[in-house]
Amino acid sequence: MIGPVTSQEVEETLKRIQSHKGVVGTIVVNNEGIPVKSTLDNTTTVQYAGLMSQLADKARSVVRDLDPSNDMTFLRVRSKKHEIMVAPDKDFILIVIQNPTD
Amino acid sequence: MDRKAELERKKAKLAALREEKDRRRREKEIKDMEEAAGRIGGGAGIDKDQRKDLDEMLSSLGVAPVSEVLSSLSSVNSMTSENSNTQTPDASLQATVNGQTGGKKQQPLNLSVYNVQATNIPPKETLVYTKQTQTTSTGGHERDVLAFDAQGDDEESSLPHLDNGFSSKLPPGFLTHGLPTVKDVAPAITPLEIKKENEIKKEVNELSEEQKQMIILSEDFQRFVVRAGRVIERALSENVDIYMDYIGAGDSEETNDERSHARLSLNRVFYDERWSKNRCITSMDWSTHFPELVVASYHNNEESLNEPDGVVMVWNTKFKKRTPEDVFHCQSAVMSTCFAKFNPNLILGGTYSGQIVLWDNRVQKRTPIQRTPLSAAAHTHPVYCLQMVGTQNAHNVISISSDGKLCSWSLDMLSQPQDTLELQQRQSKAIAITSMAFPANEINSLVMGSEDGYVYSASRHGLRSGVNEVYEKHLGPITGISTHYNQLSPDFGHLFLTSSIDWTIKLWSLKDTKPLYSFEDNSDYVMDVAWSPIHPALFAAVDGSGRLDLWNLNQDTEVPTASIVVGGAPALNRVSWTPSGLHVCIGDEAGKLYVYDVAEHLAQPSRDEWSRFNAHLGELTMNQGDEV
Repeated sequence: MIGPVTSQEVEETLKRIQSHKGVVGTIVVNNEGIPVKSTLDNTTTVQYAGLMSQLADKARSVVRDLDPSNDMTFLRVRSKKHEIMVAPDKDFILIVIQNPTD
Repeated sequence: MDRKAELERKKAKLAALREEKDRRRREKEIKDMEEAAGRIGGGAGIDKDQRKDLDEMLSSLGVAPVSEVLSSLSSVNSMTSENSNTQTPDASLQATVNGQTGGKKQQPLNLSVYNVQATNIPPKETLVYTKQTQTTSTGGHERDVLAFDAQGDDEESSLPHLDNGFSSKLPPGFLTHGLPTVKDVAPAITPLEIKKENEIKKEVNELSEEQKQMIILSEDFQRFVVRAGRVIERALSENVDIYMDYIGAGDSEETNDERSHARLSLNRVFYDERWSKNRCITSMDWSTHFPELVVASYHNNEESLNEPDGVVMVWNTKFKKRTPEDVFHCQSAVMSTCFAKFNPNLILGGTYSGQIVLWDNRVQKRTPIQRTPLSAAAHTHPVYCLQMVGTQNAHNVISISSDGKLCSWSLDMLSQPQDTLELQQRQSKAIAITSMAFPANEINSLVMGSEDGYVYSASRHGLRSGVNEVYEKHLGPITGISTHYNQLSPDFGHLFLTSSIDWTIKLWSLKDTKPLYSFEDNSDYVMDVAWSPIHPALFAAVDGSGRLDLWNLNQDTEVPTASIVVGGAPALNRVSWTPSGLHVCIGDEAGKLYVYDVAEHLAQPSRDEWSRFNAHLGELTMNQGDEV
């Protein structure tokens, strides 16, 4: 009973994020940088997944090197065209690309 | 610490090994050289003879012999090769000492030799080497490094050509200095990137649809998405333009000005298409741990019979996200809800069926984690009133159902009430309670509004437990009741307000069974009333025509100080102040939760507000006899 309920919740959550104004795409990536779920086309997904997970890894190691008791919790990259938000976790990374001007 | 010590030991050992290696190599070299010299023949012999002569001359003058000077210049080890083939440094030292014991004045010179040997021991490069040998456990890395070096060499060898091409035209001193540094950096990065990109391209193809489904269905994944999704949603809603250009912007400031002039302005609306639609908001409560969180309970949605009847949602007023923080539901419509005051995770609900249900936001399910039994020992009628009273260490959940039964519960044991009380009128007739409130800081006595229009006060414990006083009277069922938050001096804790179907709001004092005042400005059912938590004379009221009124008793008692009609004029059912006292929250019958900003000059009390309110109260009691 619990399984279906929560997987439904996953869908709901992702749908909610995707339907948010200005959101271009949502990607869930595993810890090896491989996309698990995405709302973007395959090429873009693979590109974002690979590059952003590298960046997130690097950013995390920066935070940890500066203070070993610290850890990265969120990463935002703001560019002229988009804003990329990265919510990292132990096993997965959630990447959301949004268009802040909208 | 142990690891450090071990590392140090290993380093020392490695250094020693390396040193020995070096020494052996040098020994070999020197031996080779000597052999070569020997092969050349007499020239070397003459050389030796000459050196001996020189030595004798020098020693007679009190200067160190040539051989020793030479040794100090190159290395001590050259001497060991001459003297013996001992390998340990200590032995070689002894050997040299033995060899030199013949001369008397050579003692201080021996010391200098010793010093040179000491400076030779810790060469800096050995440290770097030991670090690299430490990482050999990870396998191919060392080889990779070597490979990069080779590549680097290639590039370097290609670059100097360019270099030379330039330097032929320009003076040689400038460019040769500038360019090599560029060469050093570039090759170190590019091979790494290429390698990583290759890795990713390889891995991307590894995940099949089936594997993806496996991951998606895993509990870890689901927990992650729900948690990270919440964070992302907050971040997305936080629409702050950090590149705000104040020099160019003019429009937004104008709208801000307009807003500050309005006494009441709509801040936001909480609504969820699936869970809020057509559901009347039956109650609200604010979290004591997180003042920005409000929990609202919803009645059933008659249009969708497949959804659960009762819904409770937690909304966040701090972040501008439009979705609820938590959604909970149960099988029966929720008539009342409250946060467990001393536990930030628990939310209680009183249902239409009479059950008290308990949700936990740490649990990954939306159904109650606990519920009270449906039995004659507890409630069998709808629970309209639910509140938590007491202190951190001694607190109870108080619930009253519409058949006049009051139950006290302990959160630890919801299987049966700790205490029950039948609230009855004279002739043991049950009172249909619709609303209750505890005076500030009070846990024993409470006031209750009933369906017959009377207000009752009651005590939970003591000799006079049960109904104490009867206050007369509204002409219709009482819909809402609100006690004055207490201010120590002067004490307004005895004041309370009631709203009723009879279109009026009445102000009461616990000390008087007749109302102090009746506010008769509404022309519809008044559904709820709430005192401001920070202003002694301010309260909010909502009615069935969609009107939200703010009354400041220090300004006017005939008409509300501020009044607006909510857009679309929905029937408003509940009103509640944020703990800050600067916003009011309204729940309507269609499931929308509105947050209104109250203008600062209205919400914040001035210093003399308490004394003025006291004076006004005096006037009201004076006039009381004439009016009622």
